[in-house]
Amino acid sequence: MENILSVLIFFPLVAALLGFVVRKESIRVYGLTVAAIEFLLTLWLWFAFDPNNAGFQFIEYIPLVSDFGINYYLGVDGISLFLVVMTGLITLIGIIGLGDVKRLKNMILSLLVLETAMVGVFVSLDAIVFYLFWEFSLVPMLYIIGYWGGERRLYAAIKFFLYTFTGSLIMLVGMLYVAYIYQSVAGVWSFSITDWYALVLPISVQKWLFWAFFIGFAIKVPMFPFHTWLPYAHGQAPTIGSVILAAVLLKMGTYGFVRFSLPMFPDASVAYILPVAVLAIIMIIYTAMVAYAQEDMKQVIAYSSISHMGVIILGTFAMNAEGITGSIFLMLSHGIVSGALFLLVGVIYDRRHTKLMSEFGGLAAVMPKYAVIFGIMLMASVGLPLTIGFVGEYLSLAGFFRISPIMTLLGGTSIILGAIYMLSLYKKSFFGPVTKEENKKLTDLNGRELAALVPLVAIVIWLGVYPKPVLVPIDNSVKALVTFMEEKAQTPEAKAIIHVSTSTKEAK
Amino acid sequence: METLIYTALFAPLVGSLFAAMFGMSPKTLLTGVVTSLLLFVSFVASVLLLQHVMAVGPVHATLMDWIVAGDMRIPFGFSVDEVTAVMMVVVTLVSTVVHIYSNGYMEHDKGFNRFFSYLSAFVFSMLVLVMSDNFLGLFIGWEGVGVCSWLLIGFWYHRKDESRDVNPSISPAWAANEAFIMNRIADLGMLIGIFLIYWNVGSLQYDQVFASVGQMSHGLLVAIGIFLFIGAMGKSAQFPLHTWLADAMEGPTPVSALIHAATMVTAGVYLVIRAHPLYSAIPEVGYFIAVVGTFVAIFAASMALVNRDLKRIIAYSTLSQLGYMFAAAGLGAYWVALFHLAAHAFFKALLFLGAGNVMHAMHDELDIFKMGGLKKVMGWTYAYMGIASLALAGIWPLAGFYSKDTILEVAFNEHTYGIWFVLWLTAGLTAFYSFRLVFLTFWSDERYKEYGFHPHEVQKYVLWAMAPLAILAVIFGWWKEEFMAFVTRLLPAYEMNEHTHHMLGVLIVVTLAIAIGGIVVAYLMYHKRLRRNPKIEASLPYRILSNQYYIPVFYDKAFAKPYAELSDIAWKEIDMQVVDATVDGIAKIVEESGDESRKMQNGNLSDYLKWMAAGALILAVLALVAALKS
Repeated sequence: MENILSVLIFFPLVAALLGFVVRKESIRVYGLTVAAIEFLLTLWLWFAFDPNNAGFQFIEYIPLVSDFGINYYLGVDGISLFLVVMTGLITLIGIIGLGDVKRLKNMILSLLVLETAMVGVFVSLDAIVFYLFWEFSLVPMLYIIGYWGGERRLYAAIKFFLYTFTGSLIMLVGMLYVAYIYQSVAGVWSFSITDWYALVLPISVQKWLFWAFFIGFAIKVPMFPFHTWLPYAHGQAPTIGSVILAAVLLKMGTYGFVRFSLPMFPDASVAYILPVAVLAIIMIIYTAMVAYAQEDMKQVIAYSSISHMGVIILGTFAMNAEGITGSIFLMLSHGIVSGALFLLVGVIYDRRHTKLMSEFGGLAAVMPKYAVIFGIMLMASVGLPLTIGFVGEYLSLAGFFRISPIMTLLGGTSIILGAIYMLSLYKKSFFGPVTKEENKKLTDLNGRELAALVPLVAIVIWLGVYPKPVLVPIDNSVKALVTFMEEKAQTPEAKAIIHVSTSTKEAK
Repeated sequence: METLIYTALFAPLVGSLFAAMFGMSPKTLLTGVVTSLLLFVSFVASVLLLQHVMAVGPVHATLMDWIVAGDMRIPFGFSVDEVTAVMMVVVTLVSTVVHIYSNGYMEHDKGFNRFFSYLSAFVFSMLVLVMSDNFLGLFIGWEGVGVCSWLLIGFWYHRKDESRDVNPSISPAWAANEAFIMNRIADLGMLIGIFLIYWNVGSLQYDQVFASVGQMSHGLLVAIGIFLFIGAMGKSAQFPLHTWLADAMEGPTPVSALIHAATMVTAGVYLVIRAHPLYSAIPEVGYFIAVVGTFVAIFAASMALVNRDLKRIIAYSTLSQLGYMFAAAGLGAYWVALFHLAAHAFFKALLFLGAGNVMHAMHDELDIFKMGGLKKVMGWTYAYMGIASLALAGIWPLAGFYSKDTILEVAFNEHTYGIWFVLWLTAGLTAFYSFRLVFLTFWSDERYKEYGFHPHEVQKYVLWAMAPLAILAVIFGWWKEEFMAFVTRLLPAYEMNEHTHHMLGVLIVVTLAIAIGGIVVAYLMYHKRLRRNPKIEASLPYRILSNQYYIPVFYDKAFAKPYAELSDIAWKEIDMQVVDATVDGIAKIVEESGDESRKMQNGNLSDYLKWMAAGALILAVLALVAALKS
């Protein structure tokens, strides 16, 4: 399986095309089978992956437009490996959890196409190919929100599309400029990221490029103040749309920071820690407060996502292995946990067609299984040790502590504010007496819902207790990244702030 | 020895998971029995470990790696040394008693199985907390007990919120959330302390951290000491993070006995004792801790003086006693703090369990003004609570006498006479409110008859289960010398100076005098009947005390409400009206300018020519300007 990555990318796409001829009645089984095979393939990728090798593996390289240095260039390292696995997992779980929606066939085919785009983003090592997948991912999502969404679905879908698209365009300009510089230095065009890594950019250029890429990533994450498309998108999107959006699509932004910004612009990244961290802290505190003010359960989760992404940003800009490894782990754990939480909100929405917390109360007595799983995910979301949520949050904050204790203290309020909005959500919906007549006869989770949620619960606990199998490959690649940044950094300030682990130094 | 460690640690977890399997089914006695048995197994293993530590020395076991990233390497490591062994035995002993007791207490509760699952999970977390060999492992237990406490305070989650006048704790769910959030505030402090340690030592293992205390600067040590203590203040409910503990009484009474009296709330004290090499190096922080503890001791005792709620009185007394422990630990007498911690665990758990019996008899009525004369019908409970109250009041020869008296001696010995005086005064208050409770509940007129209660004693086996605590509440103090010899192998020995030795007799007499004085006053006031003085009850000091110094109301008004309002503003005013409106505004400008400029394309050829001429003119001007500039 030399070209496992190509298979991972194109298998869902081909399956989706073939899916057009599948009969409507069997489309659910078909979709499940395809997603399951894809997920097994991502697992195979994980097992075949050599955790001791920090570089790119399973590389594929086919020249596309040689004159401009555009190549079909793929590879995974520890940083992207688990994002691919998570994409496979979440798509599968999403399809399992898919309730009775109209035009099920179109939905499933869109999801498979979306999976192609998402996997493509995480394994591309060529900027143009990356960009193609990056933009391509908008299309199925536009359709999912715009067709299956709520009342204001068109507004939300178009806002989502235009907003992120605008950001990406600025990023594209940045990419073209990097390629142009590469051409003027090396004499040939190249869009391959590894070539770009080798490029030592003057600091003034780095600073401009940093912001060009930043806009693209920050809107995707989304960082304050570019975040307002997200609540609309979540508010209108169907459950499955929110699951994928929160779990995977947002991670493309944070992944971009690690893949592009840090190694390509180490000096600028260090120089701009302060403004980025300030934005991240505003995200953490401000959106946590906004989350607390929400009346709609789904909006609480939506805003909480933004708040958690702030912690990921802090970890990414910690400039040490602890923080960056933590931020990547937090991307995974946030994917699992927020995905599960959106699924859970979908469960109650399917039953009551409302997400307003004031409509509920006392659900714990009526739907105990639902309450238990929601409770576990809640605890993971607030970062309880021995759940998946703690590891990444702890490491991200610990890493950033080396940059600034004060800012870490401010960012650390995440653990308090997160508890406030999540616990108050839980209290309003699950505790207290059952006040509404229609809530008294709600049925607990059914088999399909359990099949989607129980694996996530298992992962939440497994990776909370024993995160090592995931942490080690990430950490190896991150250590290599940090070492690379430190070597490449030009200013002594940047060299001082980028912290190479002692274990890496000793190994030399 | 590893087997023993893992048996002690995991038996409660197995019990918890076992009970959880039946969590949604109707009550099965099996869950109660199995969890109690497993707890007993854990207790036996703990005792064996204690013996082993006594005979041979500390043992250590590492299960596996937990978090590995960068230079951070956190294992699941457990070490059982003198302090841990004592903690384990205390925790598992009280837990076993409480488990057996709960079989009776929760007999008619729908959530019987669920209750045991939570309770055993708590014990597991508590054991992780005391057994871990590193700070992050301790933090696992620390957060774990927090969650179990949340689950158990909110155990009767279906009750609705009430106003503070009706129920000062509002509702179980509210109290649970309050406890969790308050603790989270403190936990952030603790995390910061952990980060400080990590980046300065490079490890979170106790042995490595404490070994490098000598190399750290004084300022750094102070910072670490303060941040860790902030964590301790949350768990041990020290002022100003104390309000949750009294509200936590919304949980079932066995929970109050185990978690909110004997074990979890002492975790903060344990942390200070555990980090003694650190705190020994920064006596000024220690002094601060002692002052906080002393303040809380009298502050909490004062609130207990006027309260009418059986459980809240005991909760305040717990707070007050935690203050004593911090005073001792802060002054450097770590072993004394640990001694009082253990003694307190026994007599306070006994007191709470006795209160649970009373509640059962009185159909969950908690107002001691509605009780009275219960000793006739509940002789055993009366005896138990009497013993526990005597011990709490510090009457010779019960456990509390030895432990509390030693704390006072330490305060005297340190020449911190202010602390000594306040603690001495508190001893009197303690005796008074404890016996106010005893006399109003068990003596005096039988007021309960007016309210139509038919009290009865609890099941025999429940009473038997409480016996070990009663025995220990009496005799534990007699082992003071042995206890000291054992734990000071690890903890610093604390020597009294000549002067204190000289004064020892006087000190004991003075302390006993005020304790007995407190009991006598309570006796005179309440042994015959409930005396109430409307004038005093309407007076400002009384109202301040009975409203907990208005602190909960203040927190509501100063923090909770403004936060909610600010959140609302952040959402509706800022996010919607400013941030999002700007985005939409930009989009609108693009749209409208497009819309406006579309009008140019009206198909009229002469209009097009006009635009073309205008455009050409502008270009010409621009070209001219450019030419002139260059």
